[in-house]
Amino acid sequence: MKAIVSVKRVVDYNVRIQVKPDGSGVVTDGVKMSMNPFDEIAMEEAVRLKEKGKITEIIAVTIGGAKNEETLRTALAFGATKAIHIKDEGEVQPLTAARALAAVFKKEGASLLIAGKQAIDDDANQTGQMVAALLDIAQATFAGKVDVDGNKATVVREVDAGLETLEVDLPAVITADLRLNEPRYLKLPDIMKAKRIPIEATTLADLGVTAAAAVKTVKTVPPPSRSKGVMVKTVDDLVAALKAKGLA
Amino acid sequence: MSVPEKTMGLGLKVLNRFAGLSLVDKLKLRKPSEQLLFQATRAGFVGIGAAARSFAAVNKLVRPARLAPGRERELFDLNPSEEQQMLREAVAAFADAELRAAAQAADSACLAPKPLLEAAGELGIGLIGLPEEVGGAGSERSVVSNVLVAEALAHGDLGLAVAILAPGAVANALGLWGDEAQQAKYLPAFAAASAPAAALAVQEPRALFNPFLLKTTARRERDGSYLLEGLKSLVPRAADGELFLVAAQLEDHGPALFLVEGSTRGLSVRAEPAMGLRAAATAQLQLHRVRVGADALLAGGDAAVYRDCIQLSRLAWSALALGCGQAVLDYLIPYVNGRVAFGEPISHRQAVAFSVADTAVELEGLRLTTLRAASRAERGLDFARETALARRLVAEQGARIASDGVQLLGGHGFTKEYPVERWYRDLRAAGFMEGALLV
Repeated sequence: MKAIVSVKRVVDYNVRIQVKPDGSGVVTDGVKMSMNPFDEIAMEEAVRLKEKGKITEIIAVTIGGAKNEETLRTALAFGATKAIHIKDEGEVQPLTAARALAAVFKKEGASLLIAGKQAIDDDANQTGQMVAALLDIAQATFAGKVDVDGNKATVVREVDAGLETLEVDLPAVITADLRLNEPRYLKLPDIMKAKRIPIEATTLADLGVTAAAAVKTVKTVPPPSRSKGVMVKTVDDLVAALKAKGLA
Repeated sequence: MSVPEKTMGLGLKVLNRFAGLSLVDKLKLRKPSEQLLFQATRAGFVGIGAAARSFAAVNKLVRPARLAPGRERELFDLNPSEEQQMLREAVAAFADAELRAAAQAADSACLAPKPLLEAAGELGIGLIGLPEEVGGAGSERSVVSNVLVAEALAHGDLGLAVAILAPGAVANALGLWGDEAQQAKYLPAFAAASAPAAALAVQEPRALFNPFLLKTTARRERDGSYLLEGLKSLVPRAADGELFLVAAQLEDHGPALFLVEGSTRGLSVRAEPAMGLRAAATAQLQLHRVRVGADALLAGGDAAVYRDCIQLSRLAWSALALGCGQAVLDYLIPYVNGRVAFGEPISHRQAVAFSVADTAVELEGLRLTTLRAASRAERGLDFARETALARRLVAEQGARIASDGVQLLGGHGFTKEYPVERWYRDLRAAGFMEGALLV
C-alpha cells in the first residue's frame, strides 16, 4: 500500500518573521528555511505505519522552486522511499497544491495522503481537505492518533469539543495535528544515504494541472505592536481604568 | 630545607603513594576481560553483557579501508554543502534539546548518562567518519563535516560532546591509519549499535606538557611486543574505557600511538574530576608494565601520522570551543536585550554592547580559521598553520568569551541556575587539551 506525504518548505519556526517594507510579502532572503513542522509529523506517522507493516511505500511530494529539493532530501532521510518534485517557481496556492497532489495521488495509485494540517507560513489549512474533495474520497483532519487496518483507517481527531473518533475507508486523506507524534531525530547515515536517492522531477503541466488564481494577496502587514502597559497603584485604580476602557 | 619540612614532605609522599594504590584497588575498575560473543549482523556486531569487551576480527580485510580525500572545490566557498548543512542541523536539533537538558546533572555527577550516549549512538554520529566496508556511512573524508558536527554538539554541551565524540576519535584514527588487521579487529565494533567506550590518551599531568616530548615510554621487547609505562591525564570516560589509543615515546624512535584494550593487565584508572569537562568523566590512566603485542603499534610509529593525529585533535578542540562559545553568545544576546537596569535594557550600555560585539567578532574569526584548517585537512593539504592559529584563538578568546558571559549576566552568571558558569569552566579546558578527540 502506498502513502503520499506532502511536504512544504517554509520559513523555520524559530525565525522571527519580517514583513517586506513594500508589504508584498515576508522576507525570505537569507532566512533559514525548513520543512513545515506539521509535515514532519505527517512524515513521522508515515514512517511509523511503514515500520508497523501497514504501508509499503512512502512517496514524499513537494511543489516549488529548486531549493525545495532540500525539503525532499529531509523527507528521504526520514524514511521516504521515493521523492517527487513538482517544479514551479511561482506562488503556489492551496487549490493549485491540492490539484497537483490529487493528480500525483491518482497517478501513483496511492491509498493514503498524509499531510500536515496546515503550513506555518500561510496557515491556510485547506490543501488536505481540497484533495479529498477533488478525488471524492474520505478525509480525517486534525489527527491525534492514526490506526490503519486493511482497507480502513481509524483516526482520533482533535476537535473543539474534545476528541472524535472516525473510521474512514481507504483511499483517504489524513492531516496531522501537533500531538499525533513527536518526530524522531534524523540519523546521520540516513542523511548521507538520502543524497544518493534520485528525485523524480515533474511539472504542473506534466500532471495536467492548471495553477489556480483563487486567492489574491492584497497586502502583508505585521501585527500591530503592543503599546506600553500602564502601572496602577490600587485595585480601585485598576477597576476605574478598566471601566474607562469599557472592559469592566 | 629544615628537618620538620623534610619530615612533613616525606610523610605526605608516603600518604600520597598509599592513597593512590588503595584508590585503584577500591575502585576495582579493571574487570578481567570477559569473552564477548559477537553476533554477526548486517549492521555490525552487538556485544553482549560485559563492560570490557575483547576485540577479535570476524571478517578479514584484504587491505585497509580508507576514505578517499574530499573533492577539490574550485570556488572559494565557505558555505557548507547541502548535505553538511543537513548533518549539522540534525546534530544541532539533538544537541540543543537533549544535551542541553542533561548537561547540568551530568556536570554535577561527573558522568554522561548512558541513555544519552546510546541515543547519540543511534543518531550515527560515530558512523560518518567510518568507511562503508566496515559498517560505517562515510564515502569520502570529510573533516569539515566532522568539525560542523563537533561544533553543533558542543553548542548543546561541551562536556557531553566530549563524552560522545571520544570513541569516534579512536575509530577515526583506525580508519585513517590502522592496517587491515587492526581495522578488521576493532572497527566493526564501532559501527555497532553500542560503540565501545574508547578514547585517545595523550595528555600527561606535568607542567609545560608537550605532546611531542612524552614521559610515557614504550620499549620494544625481544619478542616484538611493547612494554608501556607512564601516566596519562584527563582521559574521557576512562573508567569504563574498552579501548585506548595511547601516545608514548617509543625508545630510539619518537612519539607513537599504541592500541591498548581496556582489559590489558597493568592498566588502572583514577578518577580526576576537573574544573570543567566534568560530564566527560575525565580520569587518569596509569600504565604500569603494560605489555601489548607488536600489532598494537599504529602506522608503524610514523612521525607524520602522530603529528597529524595531534593536529586533528587540536582542530577538534577548536570546533568544540567554537560551539560552546556560540552557545554563550546565543545566550547573551537575548539576555542583555531583555535585562533592564536604570530604565533601559543593559545592551544600551556600551560596556555591554562592545563586549557582546567582541565575542561575535572573535567567534567568527575562530569559525573561519577552524573551517579553513578543516578544509585543508580534508583535501590532504598541510593544515598545521591554520590549526595553530585556531588554537591560539581558542586559548585566548575562549576563556575571555566565557568570562565576559559570566560578567554580563551579573550575579546570575555566577550561579548554577544559569548555564554560563558551566560554559566558563568548560571553555577553560578547551585551551590546553591536546589529544582526546579527532575530527
